[in-house]
This record gives sequence, C-alpha cells and structure tokens, in this order.
Amino acid sequence: MSESIKKLEKLISFQEYAPIRIQTLGQFSIWRGSDKIDSKEWGRDKTIQLLQYLISNRRRNAQHKETIMDNLWEDGDDRDFKVALHGIHKVLEPARPSRTEPTYVIRQGVSYQLNLEKIWIDIDMLEKYIIIGNETFGNDFTSAKKAYKLAIAIYQGAYLPNRIYEDWSSEEREKAQLLILSAYISLAEILLEENPLETIRLTQNALAIDPTWEDAYRLQMQAYVAKGNRPQAIKTFQKCELVLDQEYGVDPLPETKKLMREIQEIS
Amino acid sequence: MSKKQDQTASFMVRFNQNIFEEDGESKVQWRGKISHVQEGDEQNFTDFNDALIFMQQKLANLTKEATKDKTTEQQEGILQKSLYMWKTMKEVGPKVLMETIKDPKKQLSQFQDQIQGQISSIGEEISEKVQIDEWRNASRSDYKKVKKSINELSAQIKKLSEKIDDISKNK
Repeated sequence: MSESIKKLEKLISFQEYAPIRIQTLGQFSIWRGSDKIDSKEWGRDKTIQLLQYLISNRRRNAQHKETIMDNLWEDGDDRDFKVALHGIHKVLEPARPSRTEPTYVIRQGVSYQLNLEKIWIDIDMLEKYIIIGNETFGNDFTSAKKAYKLAIAIYQGAYLPNRIYEDWSSEEREKAQLLILSAYISLAEILLEENPLETIRLTQNALAIDPTWEDAYRLQMQAYVAKGNRPQAIKTFQKCELVLDQEYGVDPLPETKKLMREIQEIS
Repeated sequence: MSKKQDQTASFMVRFNQNIFEEDGESKVQWRGKISHVQEGDEQNFTDFNDALIFMQQKLANLTKEATKDKTTEQQEGILQKSLYMWKTMKEVGPKVLMETIKDPKKQLSQFQDQIQGQISSIGEEISEKVQIDEWRNASRSDYKKVKKSINELSAQIKKLSEKIDDISKNK
C-alpha cells in the first residue's frame, strides 16, 4: 500500500471515529458520536456563530477573546462571550463533569481555539484530500483519483451558506470554492480517456460554481469529442465564447481556440 | 450612532492569471472577480479600475446611507472627505457622486463633458510627451493594441452619448 493511500485511509477512519463531526459545506450540522445535534440544543444564534467563527479561524493561532468579540458582537461584553462559550461546551460535551477542562474548545489564557485532533471538520478534510490529490497527480493516478473523489464527496455546497454576509466567513468560502474547482478540474483531466462522461459531469459541476472557468470548457470539449459528439463540443466552445464576452469582454484563450480549430477539422 | 456593521464594507478580490503565446509574443491576461461581502454583489473585471470603481460605489453608498439624516451640504462635505482616499479617482469621482445626490440626469451630462475634456487633455499630453523615437521601437502588435483600444474607447463614448441623448429627450 502506498504512503498516500495510507494517509487517505487514516483520514477516512478519522471521519468514522471522531467524537465530534462538523459539516460546514452546503449546510451547518454537527454530530456528537452518531447523534446529529438538534438545532434546538443551541439556544442562541450567537453560540452557533462563535463556533463557526472558531472553525473559520481554526488554522490561525488561538483567537484572543477581544478579537472574537470585536468580530461577532456590536457592543458585547464578557458576559455575552461567556454565555456563548458555555453554550458550545454544553452542546459538545453535555456530560462533562464540572471543574474539568473542556476537550473541544481549548483555552490558552484568554485565547481560544478548536481541538482539531478531536474534531472532524469537512472543510479541513476537503483541503487535506486535495493536498494529497495534488501531491500524487502525475505520478500516482490511483491515489490522486481516490483523493479527489473523497474531496468531491465531501463538498455539499458553499461554506456556511447562511453566513454569506458575514465577513469573517468570506475567506474560507473563497478558499473552499477554489479548492473544489481545482479538484473537479484535476479529476476531470485524469478521467478524460477512461471515462469522458464523468469528465463532462465534473466540468459541468465546476461551471455551475464559476461559469467563466475556461479550463472546464476545454476539458468538456475534449470529453465530447472522445464520446464522438462533435456538435456538442462546438456548442461548448460557443458557450465559453459567449460567457467570456459577457463577463469580461475577452475572447477565449488561444489554447481554447486552437482546440476548437482542431475539432472543426475532424472529418 | 450607526452600528459598526453598518459602517463596514468588506471585499473579496480574486485574480486569475493567464499566460499565453499570441502572434509570436508572450502575453499575460488577468481575469478578476470582486465581491462585496455584505450585499453579496459581485463583478468580473479585466481592468482593475473597474474593481476600484465597484469598491468606490459601495463605499459611497455606505457614506450616503450613514449621512442620510444630514443636510445636503453636510452630506457633500462628508462624501468629499470620504472619497479623498481614492487618489486615482479624486478628480472625477467626488464630483460625479455629489451630482448623483443632487440630480442623476445632470450628473450624466456633466460626466460626459468631463470624459470629453479628459480625452482632449490626454490627446494633448500624448502629443507633448511621447517622443517619436519611442514610437519607432513599438512593435506591430503595440500599434494593433493601441488601435484596438482607441476603437473600443470611441465605441464606448458613442454609446454613452446616445444614452445621454435619450435621457435628455425623455426629460
């Protein structure tokens, strides 16, 4: 078994045994063991927001309480913060004995961060799978294919879709979108010869996220040609041309136009 | 006092680089997308000035909204100060926005005059500053590019003039 496959297996098993699992892509849901947490358990929306904020900043150093409050509350005081934090502890660890340290939200002085060794978070895994996919792309297609497929299976939609107007969530949303676009395109490229129909589906998914993603049009044109559907390949080019003109006022890249000429020359 | 959230505008800017060969030359094209987080609006651009204008409009709206209870004079004063940071736009931007508050139709007509004025001054600047020796070094594709830009600019001015004429007729 290759090193990459071992890494993938480890990540898959973490998803199975992690005591807390959090879905942020497409919708926000949390599982405590095998139980999905009911939204009524949260009480206040600020409790959920605080957890989502910590998820969005999980890769940075522990967040200072003042920084968190500044980002989440208009005129919040210590009490608001304590109530929200207590709410998270109560939902994630309802049976924790009093006066014991919380397991999932770690405190360092007056700074807080999530314990990523105990919490499985979809967006975190998405990135890890794609990193393995990118590392193995070109030298180990089996691992790359598996990694991208796992990433795509995790992606259920935009990051925290109910927080799109909150600036503290924007960076992660943008990052997730670029990650999944790259996964769609890379897997579509790997599967072009083996399964052009799947390449078409993957590129359609990429274009649903960003209709100006030119790589997706090119791959889709090649996949239609591989399926013997030359007219559809030409239509794909025309769509690309139209969208790029409408959105940017530019022509497709020479590489795309060259591909179109090659398709037109097919008798 | 307005809430802090009402006083904040966040923007996410994405740049996508394309390097390619065309007419025997290496070229680079930037395609960008700017999103205004609080409203969810977004705009694609290939010229970064379009992204700046997008930001400026959103910020001007924010200032206008926050000063809607003030007198027109006070609002103008605050907008003037607010827009001062936009050095690239400071000559035209504030005037355009001030006029937008007063009279949107008049503003368009004034904007047209300003554009035409600027085009004449650009023409003068070119004739004064560009040395003929520099043009000798220009490649065929440079000429092609300049010609294309002039044509595009002319078409845009023509369209803008038509729109202003329509507005004037409908007054």
